[in-house]
Amino acid sequence: MTDTTFDVLIIGSGHSGGMAAKILTEKGIRCLMLNAGPVADVSRDAQRKPAYDLPYRGFKPPGRLEHVFQASEFNANVWVDEEEVPYTFDPVAPYNWVRVRLFGGRSLFWSRQSFRLSDYEFKGKSHDGFGEDWPIILADLAPYYSRVEEIFQVAGAQDGLPQMPNGSFIPVDSVWSESMQRFIKASQSYNMAVCEQRRAQGRDGLASSVNLLLPDAERTGKLTSIANAVVRQITVDANTGQPNGCHFVDRLSRREMHVKARVVVLAAGTLESTRLLMNSNLGNSSGIMGHFLMDQIYGPGVTCSVPEARNGKATEQLMGGSAIVPRFRNITTKYPKFLRGYALNVTSRMGGVDPRNFAAYGAELRQKLHEYNGSAFYITVMGEVLGRYENHVRINKEKVDAWDIPVLHVETRYTDNEFNMAKDAVEVGCAVADAAGFEVLSKNAVPNPPGYSIHEVGTCRMGDDPKKSVLNKWCQSHDHKNLFVVDGASFVSAGWQNPTMTILALSMRASEYLVGEMSRQNV
Amino acid sequence: MLLRDFVRAVVSVGLLPKALLAQQTANPAPPPPAPVPWTLGLNPKTPLPVTEAADGIAETEASFFTPAQFTTFTRLCDLLLPSLGNKPGALQAGTPTFLDFLIGSSSEARKKVYSDGLDWLDVEAKTRYKLAFAQLNATQADALIKPWLRTWMTDHPPTERHADFINIAHEDIRVATMNSKVWDDASAAAGQDWVTGGLYWSPIEPDMAGPGAASTPLPPHVMVVPKAAHTMPSYPR
Repeated sequence: MTDTTFDVLIIGSGHSGGMAAKILTEKGIRCLMLNAGPVADVSRDAQRKPAYDLPYRGFKPPGRLEHVFQASEFNANVWVDEEEVPYTFDPVAPYNWVRVRLFGGRSLFWSRQSFRLSDYEFKGKSHDGFGEDWPIILADLAPYYSRVEEIFQVAGAQDGLPQMPNGSFIPVDSVWSESMQRFIKASQSYNMAVCEQRRAQGRDGLASSVNLLLPDAERTGKLTSIANAVVRQITVDANTGQPNGCHFVDRLSRREMHVKARVVVLAAGTLESTRLLMNSNLGNSSGIMGHFLMDQIYGPGVTCSVPEARNGKATEQLMGGSAIVPRFRNITTKYPKFLRGYALNVTSRMGGVDPRNFAAYGAELRQKLHEYNGSAFYITVMGEVLGRYENHVRINKEKVDAWDIPVLHVETRYTDNEFNMAKDAVEVGCAVADAAGFEVLSKNAVPNPPGYSIHEVGTCRMGDDPKKSVLNKWCQSHDHKNLFVVDGASFVSAGWQNPTMTILALSMRASEYLVGEMSRQNV
Repeated sequence: MLLRDFVRAVVSVGLLPKALLAQQTANPAPPPPAPVPWTLGLNPKTPLPVTEAADGIAETEASFFTPAQFTTFTRLCDLLLPSLGNKPGALQAGTPTFLDFLIGSSSEARKKVYSDGLDWLDVEAKTRYKLAFAQLNATQADALIKPWLRTWMTDHPPTERHADFINIAHEDIRVATMNSKVWDDASAAAGQDWVTGGLYWSPIEPDMAGPGAASTPLPPHVMVVPKAAHTMPSYPR
């Protein structure tokens, strides 16, 4: 029987867990990483197939992954099965919890949009009075953002906007197409900044924990990893009351096991980390664990056509390119319809236009598709969801997953602030498109269910006051000095930005703090 | 006997005792037990049998839609996506029977959209033209369908009654047809690469003891994850 005690136990292998493993092991700290799922090997587990060769012709298999709108028959096996790991919610307030338990987690599949939060987010309460300020500001995190951007090879331009801070980017020197130039000109009346996209290029086509972080940790010889380890509970020392390891169950054999460590770092993803803490009855002296669940509204948008590009006249000069319009509401002036703001993703594309953009069928539809081919211009929305106490998760003691672990109940709804934001975004998108001379083909102002963006954050927010927060500014539990949560659970506000860069920077910062505390024997 | 045959025979006789002796002393491998272990000899050079998708070869019967609904649906499929140019239509792609199978396997809500929608369409036809929908000509059918067509964005089909059915069915019919083998074959014949494909992920170390497998309690399939055979990537920092 082994009696090994690791320095640090890391639960989760995605961006945040991978970063913690890299930083800690490179400082000589011996880490054990547990991941709930297997390793995905694309050469072994995936192959190109025609849709007709699949049982459902590419349709999402009926009865599976009802709340994963992103799923199709091609990728259905990469997501967490909702029957195997269920969660509950009020049917009138559905939640789309989109999960990946493969080694590397959701870092294997993300959109690569890479933004820093700004002080409009870190100091949101100071700016508009809502919610809480973070206990850190951009200047605290900026050095870590820079290192993360270098590792992830983020490409972008230095636009110099306070709401979209500059970073350490690979320069981009693309030229706006004529359709983009028309959009830029038309957007000026809204004081919108149309900027180059900021995107992680990664290495060898991938920007994931498995190729950018874990190899560095493995090279140190200080990382031990176990796949298919579903953590049931964090254990505590009977004498000190401090976490000292965890119980886990082997996903396939159902064998119960236990590991020991001096420090526990949770990186299982926002809601899984919170679920594990709740099932372990740890770290919630404030009573607010599980509260302030946030994400971003996705789904609203406008699809347009550039008339001059129709009938085979699309050229690379006219069409192509993408841009980000960072939040422009409530920056220098107060907007009366809602707090905070939204960003627009703008894309000009020469490919086909989706048939659902035409109220036609048969030969008429075919003619439309032919005519409009190459002329598509898309405007999509990502808007900040406010952090509210009532939007929360809790343990549902009446339902368990495949390993008898109590599941999470999610209770969250969008409010008028989010709905008004979506409505405004679509109205602005239509107005700008119209001013640019584009034809609006379809539009939607209804957000997808909460969770759809896969940007869930909060539920263990950080703060200086232990009565109002779960973690301190180092992502360290107020209650247990050897317990850290380094994923998105620590967020105080969501912002409009893709949270990945912030999660990575926070994990890097927390891990380096942990190294210092361990070397000083404070942990 | 030719001279060379004679010489070969003499040499063989001379070698025979040595060969026999070798057999006695070389401890030959025992004959394989019967049956031969089934994986014996399988290797990366083993040819793989060529198989075809049953779809497009086998025939199936509609089992979810009622006969009347199926007749209505078949006509709707033909109207919404007929054969055009060198591309097959929904009927050539077997879309009605495929969607009967798909919808019959789907949630109650989706089943209801289709069942109610098909019943409504037939009632409308009989009310306005005193004919079943399947018997309407294209102009008559268009007068029933067209008013309910909407433009819409991904994940947000119309929720208005009747418009929901027409638009959801239209998209399903198009996807089922364009993802069929006959569509792919037509594309290939026109010189296009197969357009319906994608990267398909097989189940990755499936948990066969999990939910859904309760009635067939199979032992778990345990696979040790091998250390990566490839060189760890090293990037300049």
